[in-house]
Amino acid sequence: MGDFKAMVHRKARYVDQSRCTACGACAEKCPTKVPNEFNFGLDDRKAIYKDYAQGIPSVFTIDPNSCKVLQGGKCGVCAKVCQAKAVDYEQKPHDVELNVAAVIVSTGYELFDATQIPEYGYGKLPNVISSLEMERLLSAGGPTKGHLSRPSVIRGEARLKEVAKLIKKAEKAEDQPQLAKLQQEQKWLEEHIHKCHTAKRLGFIQCVGSRDFRFHKYCSSYCCMHSIKEAIIAREHEHETESFIFYMDLRTVGKGFEEYKVRGATVSNLKYIRGRVAEVLQDEDLNPVVYYEDTEQRRVVSMTLDMVILANACSPSKGITALAKMLGLELEENNFVKTHPNRPLDTNVPGIFTCGCAQGPLDIPESVAQASSAAARAAEVVMTGGRALAV
Amino acid sequence: MASKEVLIIGGGIAGMQAALDLGEMGIKVHLVEKNPSIGGKMAQLDKTFPTNDCTI
Repeated sequence: MGDFKAMVHRKARYVDQSRCTACGACAEKCPTKVPNEFNFGLDDRKAIYKDYAQGIPSVFTIDPNSCKVLQGGKCGVCAKVCQAKAVDYEQKPHDVELNVAAVIVSTGYELFDATQIPEYGYGKLPNVISSLEMERLLSAGGPTKGHLSRPSVIRGEARLKEVAKLIKKAEKAEDQPQLAKLQQEQKWLEEHIHKCHTAKRLGFIQCVGSRDFRFHKYCSSYCCMHSIKEAIIAREHEHETESFIFYMDLRTVGKGFEEYKVRGATVSNLKYIRGRVAEVLQDEDLNPVVYYEDTEQRRVVSMTLDMVILANACSPSKGITALAKMLGLELEENNFVKTHPNRPLDTNVPGIFTCGCAQGPLDIPESVAQASSAAARAAEVVMTGGRALAV
Repeated sequence: MASKEVLIIGGGIAGMQAALDLGEMGIKVHLVEKNPSIGGKMAQLDKTFPTNDCTI
């Protein structure tokens, strides 16, 4: 009881953590660009990179799947420009054995994959995005420095550059059918992508994957507040923004949350529309067209918007099943970690506790409060030598 | 001799807060995170409700 042996697989960064000063000279000179997962492919990062500027540890990492040297090719530019001599292509991942008194599982959550709801067009229609993609667009440190550029413009411009390169290639290879196809695409892109640059008419669709018998029956708890927040921030960035939230219920439970909801309507040009969205289509200018039932007016209506933001559900993380098996943890019916009814952060294994979204959808203050609570439980185990494990 | 250390799996907001609290108590923590930086989903958020202050 209260005594665990853990084998942790430590991945290689290919950068010496004790030497790297995070100056960024390596990333500046690295010739390899790949889509930046942190920004959902809305911009690129280099093969040697930092997740985000303020990331801790403040050390760069080489992505072995895209680095030319680690893929067996020739490069080495980052090692050459690094003044701290921190790049180490020979670094190997290794296993570390730990002996611990208690374990806290705080593996968080995953954003619901909205391609599972094809009627919303996510993944097909360029201007239908997820809540986290919206966060990245709104962020001053994000791919557009906080400007709400439509994804059709961002991805369209990137595709135009790619097509220009492919056209040169096709011309060289004298591949006429491919050339014709590419030139047609180039014409279409040039005509359509710049028609509307900034998204000002925003639609938020709530309960995407949540409160849905097909996927998650539960409510994801924070998305109503999350969407209202995004609408308020969007208006701060662009005064002409008007937003519509399509909801079943507006769940704004928490200190100051009701007032926040009212503020959205009175100050931030946000309209609350009670009704489920049946389908999102697209007009020829790449504007999403939302078909919904307005339950207060008892009509089926359509609305053309600049951008649609989905409030994706809070799904349990994919790796939780494997982790639970490894630790002997029970999961509840939705695949969140099962907790004891009288001790809400204790799992079925004495000495293993959980907190945050690993145990269920929570907002940030709730996650923080739970984390402190789990820390207290873990400390009890450490300080009593395992005695404090009886429930 | 029983260990006096704690393993925290996941370095998002919950994992970080638990690690800080345990650290303040003088307990050694091993914080394991699969991504190159800690911070989790919260690092991707722009501002947080209801105060609209930035998370990072």
